[in-house]
Amino acid sequence: MQQPQIPEYEKERLLALLDASLLDTVAETRFDRLTQLVQQCLDTEIVLISLIDSKRQWFKSRQGLDVCETGRDISFCGHAILDSSIFEVSDASTDPRFADNPLVTEAPHIRFYAGAPLTINNQRIGTLCVIDSTSRQLTAKERLILRNFADAVEQEIADRLQEQAHQRLAASELMHRSVLEGTRIGTWQWNIQTGETVFNERWAEIVGYTLDELAPIDINTWLGFAHPDDLAESGKLLEQHFAGQLPFYDCKCRMKHKNGQWVWVHDRGRVVSWTGDGKPLMMYGTHADVTEQKMAELELQASRDQFKNLLANIPGMVYQYQQWPDGKAAFPYTSDNIKNIYGVTAEQVKQDSTFLFDKIHPDDLDGLAQSIDKSAKHLSLWQHQYRICQENKQPTWLSGRATPERMADGSTLWHGYIEDITAIKLHYLELERVNTALKITQQRLDTASENALIGFWQASLKTGELWWSPVIYQIFGFSETVNPSVELFKSTLHPQDAEQVFKSEQQALKTGVHDVVHRIVRPDGTIRWVHELAKMLPPQENPELIMVGSVQDVTERMQLQQMKDQFISTVSHELRTPLTAISGALGILLSGKLAEFDPKVSKLLNIAHGNSNRLQHLINDLLDIEKLTAGKVQLNMEVLSLQPQLKLALSNLQPYALEYKVTLVLEPGPTQLQIVADSQRLQQILANLLSNAIKFSGSGKTVSLSAAINEDKVRVSVQDQGSGIPPEFQPRLFERFAQADGSNRGHKGGTGLGLAISKGLLAQMNGHIGFQTKEGVGTTFYFELPQVSATISDSSNH
Amino acid sequence: MPLKKIMHVEDDESIRTVAEIALTDLAGFELLSCDSGQSALAQAAEFAPQLILLDVMMPQMDGLQTLAALRQLPATEHTPVVFMTAKIQQSEKQQYLDAGAIAVIDKPFDPMQLGETLHQLYNQQPDLN
Repeated sequence: MQQPQIPEYEKERLLALLDASLLDTVAETRFDRLTQLVQQCLDTEIVLISLIDSKRQWFKSRQGLDVCETGRDISFCGHAILDSSIFEVSDASTDPRFADNPLVTEAPHIRFYAGAPLTINNQRIGTLCVIDSTSRQLTAKERLILRNFADAVEQEIADRLQEQAHQRLAASELMHRSVLEGTRIGTWQWNIQTGETVFNERWAEIVGYTLDELAPIDINTWLGFAHPDDLAESGKLLEQHFAGQLPFYDCKCRMKHKNGQWVWVHDRGRVVSWTGDGKPLMMYGTHADVTEQKMAELELQASRDQFKNLLANIPGMVYQYQQWPDGKAAFPYTSDNIKNIYGVTAEQVKQDSTFLFDKIHPDDLDGLAQSIDKSAKHLSLWQHQYRICQENKQPTWLSGRATPERMADGSTLWHGYIEDITAIKLHYLELERVNTALKITQQRLDTASENALIGFWQASLKTGELWWSPVIYQIFGFSETVNPSVELFKSTLHPQDAEQVFKSEQQALKTGVHDVVHRIVRPDGTIRWVHELAKMLPPQENPELIMVGSVQDVTERMQLQQMKDQFISTVSHELRTPLTAISGALGILLSGKLAEFDPKVSKLLNIAHGNSNRLQHLINDLLDIEKLTAGKVQLNMEVLSLQPQLKLALSNLQPYALEYKVTLVLEPGPTQLQIVADSQRLQQILANLLSNAIKFSGSGKTVSLSAAINEDKVRVSVQDQGSGIPPEFQPRLFERFAQADGSNRGHKGGTGLGLAISKGLLAQMNGHIGFQTKEGVGTTFYFELPQVSATISDSSNH
Repeated sequence: MPLKKIMHVEDDESIRTVAEIALTDLAGFELLSCDSGQSALAQAAEFAPQLILLDVMMPQMDGLQTLAALRQLPATEHTPVVFMTAKIQQSEKQQYLDAGAIAVIDKPFDPMQLGETLHQLYNQQPDLN
């Protein structure tokens, strides 16, 4: 038996067979009708439409045979497809190719076979064949009939394929339509050459219309809806697509909706056919409403812009820095400010930033690298300050801070912030410089304090602990190895001053202030004066009785004071000694007890005596003023009944009043008033005021003295009937040597110090002085002193 | 016994003279005028004054020293002493009182009043006998 050969184009042939989509399909009338006709026309037992598969022959239609396939190796048709003409075997039993073929030797016992090849897509995929169990030979006419029927089968196969294609297309279209409807996508077709355009309903819906409303539709319909600003871009993209630069036309543009708003449309399409001369002909495309997406995008963009602006306004740069174990480094993200900080763009350092290390100040490079390594190793916060150098610029100080994170690839990613702190740094450097200058000044001050010999100390009166600043050792004449204590301090006190110091300390427990000037005896025996000034909190808040204070060596000041005292003492003595003799001698002579004088002599003696008295007053007043100025007036304050004091003053001044022919009157008033004052000084004040009043009243006038209560004070008034005090003089009234008219001086007498002394004395006695005056009417001088309540005066010894 | 014998110690001759006239001619006392502390000490025992009027500022031996020395003499051990001073400072006056003076009279003094003042001061003294 000879097996059929495999044709040269077997692969293509099998593909054509597959494309025909006939294998293993159900029987179809269109083929069965033809095979029946062949059976009748040619009067054969078996008619088959056999398709030659790779290993078998399968019968699409069969008449007179039950099996639907046999092996290709025993097939007659396998031979038939090797040539385009009909393959005929008259008697298989005698043909050496088929004589032992099982189809010949067994059922269906083939003797006659004739097969016309079926050609589809230029490949012979099978045959229309006739078979008989008796030998036979086709006539020419019969062969023609067989060929014609084979052509008919071929036609049916082609038609069938066509139908199937149509069905598939319809199904596909349906599917696409469904998909488009489901995705709410508008479609368009555009004949680029004619402008003819087709839209679907959805296309119109996107802009709020129906297709009917838009009719007639052509390319201008689209152009009318598109946003003018977007048409240019759209046109450019189309040109690029037409030129083959873009596989698709893809554009996002705005279209005007019926409601007046702009809707964003994603427009996408491509040319599907071209004219013979290569121009684009038909283009299909879609419209998708992407307004929401576009809005979201715009919002996102806005949000990004906002973020960017925000970052741009931050003085420093926000960044991500990544470093790999091999030393590679990059800034996957940095804000635009990297330009201001490092002088590079974000793009330049996105992949590799190792070159930035060249910009680091050489002195800072190691420290920076170490800080980064440390942060990477421990995943600890990175914080560092370093300098970078840029061409033609002063080094810039940077301060960075970032949090590291270990990535899967073993690299470390920092999220952080770097800022330029040059200005701050310079400020600090300036501060340091100022501080240094201050320290120098402070040292100078310390030196000054040493020169002034002021030391500071802290003591506990309870525990006896004492701390001294270095100057105190110097003041007290101790070496600094001595351990100070309250006991040691007490041992330095001058014996005559110890009690005074103790009293001041006791006072401090009540008043909180310790203020005493005393002498100390140094280990070498020299005596120094010191002024201690200290403060302490009340014992209930200060259980350790801590006292903090200063001590100043005031020896020189005290020595000066003593010299001054000595001088005043001497001057007063030296002036008064001759004065004593003069006024004493004149006094005796004027008494007339030694001798009678000529009236002219008596007059001259009176002048001499009066002026010696004036000189005496002047000396007394000068000394008083000096003492008031130095705050050294010693007052003997006591509770005094006022009435007797007033009477005493009046009687003291009576002779003077008589001299001026002035009447002195004590006005009636409260008689039980008591004050606290120094009686001697009180008399001095009263004498001043009364003598002034007498002097300025003039002959025949009255000077009245009165007392009254003014709130909690006692007011004593001296009223005259003089000419009043000129307004221009009033402000200077209590100044030293103040007198309204220099010419009055000799005439009226007095030193010009009385009111100044009175004012000073009253101030020291917690009182004050004042006056009321009216020109031509008179003047009232008054002073006020604290009144003593009855209880105190009763318990008083006075 | 009324005050009769007064010893006055004063280095200034003018003042000695004024005081002498005031206390003898005008006040009628028996007066011993001394020009120094030393002189006073020398004559104190013989004169045996009832009251001593003592100037403060004197060369060589001042009032306080003279007082201290007089207190060493039996004749003047308890004799009342009145200081006369031109020094006006209160602290100094107190110093004299503390030293044992019964009073301090300011210079210049009123010569017409001096005798009377001394009488009063003397009479205020507790009876020494």
